[in-house]
Amino acid sequence: MARPKNPLIEFQNVTRTFNPGKGTAVTAVDDVSFTVDHGEVYGVIGFSGAGKSTLIRLINGLERPTAGTITVLGHEVSRMSESKLRHVRSRIGMVFQQFNLFQSRNVAGNVAYPLRVAGWNKADRERRVEELLEFVGLADKAKTYPEQLSGGQKQRVGIARALAVKPDILLADESTSALDPSTTGEVLRLLRRANEELGITIVAITHEMEVIRSIADRVAVMDRGKIVEEGLVYDIFSNPRDDGEITFVGSALKDRPSAEDLTRIRRHSDGRLITVSLKDSAAVGGVLGRAGEFGIAFEIVHGGMNTTKNASFGLLTLALTGRTEAVQSFVEAMRDAAPVQEVEPGQETLR
Amino acid sequence: MIEAYRELDWDYYGPELLDALAETVHMVVVAFAISAWIGLTLGLLLYTTRAGGLLANAPLFWTVNFLVNTIRPIPFIILIAALQPLTIQILGTGIGNTAVIHAMVWASSFGIARIVEQNLVTIDPGVIEAARAMGASRTRIIFTVILPEAFGPLILGFTFVIIAMIDMSALAGIVGGGGLGNFAIVEGYQRFRPEVTWLAVAAVILMVHLLQILGNLAARKVLRR
Repeated sequence: MARPKNPLIEFQNVTRTFNPGKGTAVTAVDDVSFTVDHGEVYGVIGFSGAGKSTLIRLINGLERPTAGTITVLGHEVSRMSESKLRHVRSRIGMVFQQFNLFQSRNVAGNVAYPLRVAGWNKADRERRVEELLEFVGLADKAKTYPEQLSGGQKQRVGIARALAVKPDILLADESTSALDPSTTGEVLRLLRRANEELGITIVAITHEMEVIRSIADRVAVMDRGKIVEEGLVYDIFSNPRDDGEITFVGSALKDRPSAEDLTRIRRHSDGRLITVSLKDSAAVGGVLGRAGEFGIAFEIVHGGMNTTKNASFGLLTLALTGRTEAVQSFVEAMRDAAPVQEVEPGQETLR
Repeated sequence: MIEAYRELDWDYYGPELLDALAETVHMVVVAFAISAWIGLTLGLLLYTTRAGGLLANAPLFWTVNFLVNTIRPIPFIILIAALQPLTIQILGTGIGNTAVIHAMVWASSFGIARIVEQNLVTIDPGVIEAARAMGASRTRIIFTVILPEAFGPLILGFTFVIIAMIDMSALAGIVGGGGLGNFAIVEGYQRFRPEVTWLAVAAVILMVHLLQILGNLAARKVLRR
């Protein structure tokens, strides 16, 4: 089946301000533009209060923009009335941090609810509910009420409910933030299956790097209402920034030394500090093996490896000691093999 | 005290008490059957029209809120008297049980409105958001999410109101109505027969206990605990 080439979701200069014109005005989403393509998993990460949950609610019209244009599935949702929006919403599933299951309905009743809204008949509803509970591995819990389920099970019901009407898009609003690490993995695997087996496009907002790492293709980093970094997960994670700024990604991954780490390192080493990207770890190893030829010594003072959906990457921070010129030529050789970042820009000229 | 009951003329007081009980039940049942719907509607309006609500509408909210706050604090005995001209217009009479039922409908409708509102605000807004995200209409959300989610607490709230209405019905005597209140005053108090007054007290206590037990059972069944 030929898929439309147009992006499924498009934000153009979207701003959402709460209480505009008042002293309490807060701009939750500030001039944000991005697109999400068919079949991809788009992650949005940021600290709480960064505007992520407003952003995700703008997609299905639960929030309305103050300015800008939002197009979803070919509809300009930013201009649609609440009643017109309902048709678009029925093609978008949503999963919530607190699950938001109906306490007055059992598991089957929760999953059947969107099917009732969409006007499915009883026989079709029953068949679909069975199919969905099978998909999320809760076939035996159909008659159970939400309060008797564990957090992970509740979220699986939430996912089954969100997938019920075979939506084109799934919005995951901090879907694993209320879960412990082992159940997080379980829920993330389910989201990934929804993407891979059912071809559903997913937008996931989260403050957990784990979510981005394991399911996202592309990631946007949000800070104070703005998207400050955006790109393929692998690129964003593996490339040290040239300006030496400690980014959200960097600080969350802990693969770059923090200020405290640096103080500790400085206590026993006064060498020049560089951070090397391990995109091509064999090449990095080759240069390290030749350290003796350059007449310098190195010490690994910090490092970390991470795995994303498609690849592994890591950063290694080295303390280099030796004559300044020798260290400089070693760094240049390393630059030929891998991206290198000075940990303390300006330091090299002091020695 | 026990002696007094042994000597009581049961052939007279027995049927009188049962009649009074039946009149009280009649007043409460009829008034509740009407005010439950009015109160539920007003309560839903208070809940849905408030800022950030499903049907957010400030003028409507303030109107209903103002009405509730105006009618509710009027002491019931004054309300019966104050409503009398209206009662005569509507019912053709300003006295008797029917007149009291009319006043009870006013008082309890606005009381129920507040109790319904208070129960609905405890609903997790997340489930309403979830239903909206699925494309459910506002009417559908009211009937298939809001009311079912609050059903257990609503049963307890309505039980509370019915008991308050038994209390209201006891004032029927002042406009020529009957019921247990009238029985206690006319047959007991005014004739210096406390043992007769206490018959009415016992009947009311039994009724209230029975209602509360039923209400609790029903709520527990709905809430599954």
